Amino acid sequence: MFERRLFFHVDWLLLGAVLMLTGIGIAMIYSTTYVTPPSGGGHAGPQVWTQMYALTIGVVALLICLMIDYRVFAEHSLMLFGGLVLLLVFVLVKGSTQMGAQRWIPIGHFNLQPSEFGRVGIALLLAMFFGENRRGARNTSDLVIGGIFTLVPLLLIAKQPDLGTAITLVPVFLGVAYLAGLRLRLLGIVALACLPLGLFAYKFALKDYQRQRIETFLDPEKDPRGAGYQTIQARVTVGSGGLTGKGFRQGTQGQYKFLPVAHNDFIFSVLGEEQGFIGVLVALGLYLFVILRSLEAARLAKDRLGAYLVGGIISGFAFQVIYNVTMSAGLAPVKGITLPLMSYGGSSLIATLAGFGLILNVRMRRFTN
Amino acid sequence: MSTNLMPDDRRNLAMRLSALQYVVAVAFAALAVGFWVFQVAQHQKFREMAENNHLRKLPLPAPRGVLLDRNGKVLVENRNIFNIALVREQTKNVDATLKTLAAATGVDEAQLRETVSRRRREPTYRPIVLIENATPEQYIAVRARQWELPGIIGQEVPSRRYPGSALAAHLFGYVAEVTEAQLQKADYQGAEPGVIVGQAGIEQAYNRLLMGTEGNRIMIVNSVGREIRVLDEQSSAPTEGRTMQLTIDADIQGAIEDGFAASGFNGAAVVLDPRDGEVLGFTSRPAFDPNSFAGGIDRATWASLNVDELKPLQNRALQGTYSPGSTFKMAVGLAGLEEGIITPEFSVHCGGGANFYGRYFRCWKAGGHGTVKLKTAIEQSCDVYFYTVGNMLGVDRINKWATLFGLGVKSNIDLPNERVGLVPSTEWKKTQREKKWYAGETISVAIGQGQVSVTPVSMAVYAATLANGGSRVTPHLLKAVHDGKAWKPVEAPPPQSKVDVSPEKLQAVRQGMWGVVNGGGTGGRARIEGHDVCGKTGTAQVISNAGRLAAARSGKNLRDHGWFVFFAPRDNPTIAGVVFLEHGLHGPNAASVAHHILATYFAKQDGKPMPPPPTHEDLRLDYKDPYARGAAPAEGGGQ
Repeated sequence: MFERRLFFHVDWLLLGAVLMLTGIGIAMIYSTTYVTPPSGGGHAGPQVWTQMYALTIGVVALLICLMIDYRVFAEHSLMLFGGLVLLLVFVLVKGSTQMGAQRWIPIGHFNLQPSEFGRVGIALLLAMFFGENRRGARNTSDLVIGGIFTLVPLLLIAKQPDLGTAITLVPVFLGVAYLAGLRLRLLGIVALACLPLGLFAYKFALKDYQRQRIETFLDPEKDPRGAGYQTIQARVTVGSGGLTGKGFRQGTQGQYKFLPVAHNDFIFSVLGEEQGFIGVLVALGLYLFVILRSLEAARLAKDRLGAYLVGGIISGFAFQVIYNVTMSAGLAPVKGITLPLMSYGGSSLIATLAGFGLILNVRMRRFTN
Repeated sequence: MSTNLMPDDRRNLAMRLSALQYVVAVAFAALAVGFWVFQVAQHQKFREMAENNHLRKLPLPAPRGVLLDRNGKVLVENRNIFNIALVREQTKNVDATLKTLAAATGVDEAQLRETVSRRRREPTYRPIVLIENATPEQYIAVRARQWELPGIIGQEVPSRRYPGSALAAHLFGYVAEVTEAQLQKADYQGAEPGVIVGQAGIEQAYNRLLMGTEGNRIMIVNSVGREIRVLDEQSSAPTEGRTMQLTIDADIQGAIEDGFAASGFNGAAVVLDPRDGEVLGFTSRPAFDPNSFAGGIDRATWASLNVDELKPLQNRALQGTYSPGSTFKMAVGLAGLEEGIITPEFSVHCGGGANFYGRYFRCWKAGGHGTVKLKTAIEQSCDVYFYTVGNMLGVDRINKWATLFGLGVKSNIDLPNERVGLVPSTEWKKTQREKKWYAGETISVAIGQGQVSVTPVSMAVYAATLANGGSRVTPHLLKAVHDGKAWKPVEAPPPQSKVDVSPEKLQAVRQGMWGVVNGGGTGGRARIEGHDVCGKTGTAQVISNAGRLAAARSGKNLRDHGWFVFFAPRDNPTIAGVVFLEHGLHGPNAASVAHHILATYFAKQDGKPMPPPPTHEDLRLDYKDPYARGAAPAEGGGQ
């Protein structure tokens, strides 16, 4: 199944950058969750270990996704999609509830968050659907079918509720459709159609706290102690880091919990605080490299399936990175969109690494038949 | 099964991928710019905001400087009290906390709320003192309900203690939290809201020296205000205020207070060293207990001090202005001598009154003093003699010499809010009243009535200037300041003015004053065996005779004031001063109080046991009210 010569076509640079980002993430999680008891001493927080286990599992997932030909995955994409939908339904029925949302399936000591695998699942299905279609995605009916495929898990995830994760499915769909030749005029019409839909959703479908988040983002000073707090503190955290940062574990905003969930949604703010603008540039550079390099893999893909698959996965990834980093600087409304590879969260890390397994897979098999 | 890419497709795909790459690159560039703006361009602002987030500076109050008397006796010191304070950032529901606190301690909830609301603009981490000087019961009650009282903390802070209670209350003044108006002033620059500052007396005048320097505890707190650790290297301990040695002699001060207590009168007394103006004793009565301010005065006490008709908060020695009565006569006599109008031998016949400008002015002594010269005129306080001399001088020359001897001007004592008396002049009348001075008005002025008014402290300066021969010394209270290592003597301030009075002329007046005390005059009760005490009594009308009849039914206390100015010994005096008895009826009553002061002073000087506090009977006070039966005697100064 795995030919030795393929080994030489693995994109080691991309893999290296991905693992480096994961390493930076674990370091920042270590920093923000470090426990300092009043009696003195101190030790790493339990989140570091969880993230390390997830990394191990993630690497295994990456290897599996790398070794098996992506076309095999694509052939079974409908089945995988079906499994995903079943899991999401299961979550809504029997999932565990934390912080007011039902997102997890407890497995032993771990909690599996199926929604994180939604992007890879959708990317596989859509790449298969548009890739096997000789016409590409030129007409409206293809778009509608693809849209329905996306909408099913999206709604299931939004119901948890986890709007942040649900939204990340949209760029995956748009990425694949765009590469498959979707006419931009059509895209514009869809966008225009979405506008009133969005307003409708804002008015009737969003929950109070979601609406409040958007409102306070527009004017954070209106409620600096309440909902605007996170936006202001994110800016303070990043801004106070300066050019060179306060030093590893020397941050004050994250360390003293002025910025909530620093190890999760706001990990990049803490990076900015402790490592400064220089650290931010290094991390942004690595992310940019990963994205451009992956798009390069799409260009090199030997078939449309491969190109669309890579495009879908990396579109979702790029959207998450850009949104989260913008939010980390207090420049976007606070949404539960984590920073892939760096934020704390096992399912997210595993799913992301699996996705990069597929990207490496496409590039590696560009010469095979 | 999979569809390989056709060349056309590939070109199209490559184009779209390139576009995607550009979009991503632009987005990342925009992000980099955004971070540059926050992290480099606006770094300073955000750094400060982050520091405000996690650094907390808590003031540690400094004990105020201790006050000693001239012999090293402690007059004012410090003790620790317990305050109960609220840290708003540690409680989610301030109202609920205040409610529970009020219930636990029995303090009025509305008052607590008002205190919090008054200081709502301060940072929420700064403790707001809600109960100053909490009783042990309140402290225990709060400790016991700690968990129901989030944000309530106990603080042990230094507070002022006045061991003598009301002793010299107006001299020391009192302390209280700095007011908002004071915070605006340059004198209080650097003072933080809530700091304790002097609000009157020495506490206010020397607040800068006494206040010391607040310490700071700088600590790191987390997002819920919990203390994480203290930054010792950046914190500072409070520095105690300077210890100050006053010119006050605790024994003299005690003698003044004892004398007043025995007399039962209110009033004021100031005793100076006439050589340099050091204040040996200073009192104003009725007094208050400055201790009741030290731990935050309660409303009832404050209200009663303010509505009391006797005005216990008024510093009569500095702020009360009264007619000097006959004590003014030395100034007129000296003016006559120095202006060459009279000689000590100049004599006037007193037949119990005299006519001036068509009006009859009586002498206090019906039947008159006969023919008197200066010495006898002072000794017997003959009004006709001074009517005559005053008439010859005219008001402006009286004004000139009274001013040179300290009357009608500020003494510039180192205490706040001194008021100024008045010795009239033609100029004054023209500018202030826009009227011409009538020569007839001078007659009343010559015996210290009419518009003449003086403060007791200026009378003490007057006595000192007579004693030292013309040097208008500046009364002052500070003798030395301990700068932490050694005592630094404070130089006496220079005299306000100096005039060389020829010794023989001065001696003529002094002889008269000696006679007042030792020659069968009106001040005989101030006599001290073996010490040549000089003095002069004065009885000042509170209201004109005509006015008195009209106001008789008002029930107000309109009895005359009693004065006694003195110095001793006659040659080379070392003590000078004044006793003023408000509504004390007669000058001689003031001389009785002065006797105890002088007896104490000389006993101490001679190394003899000091006299015990006098009883009421010892003072042999005269309560005869010459007006009691509505009989209106002459418009003239008595005795």
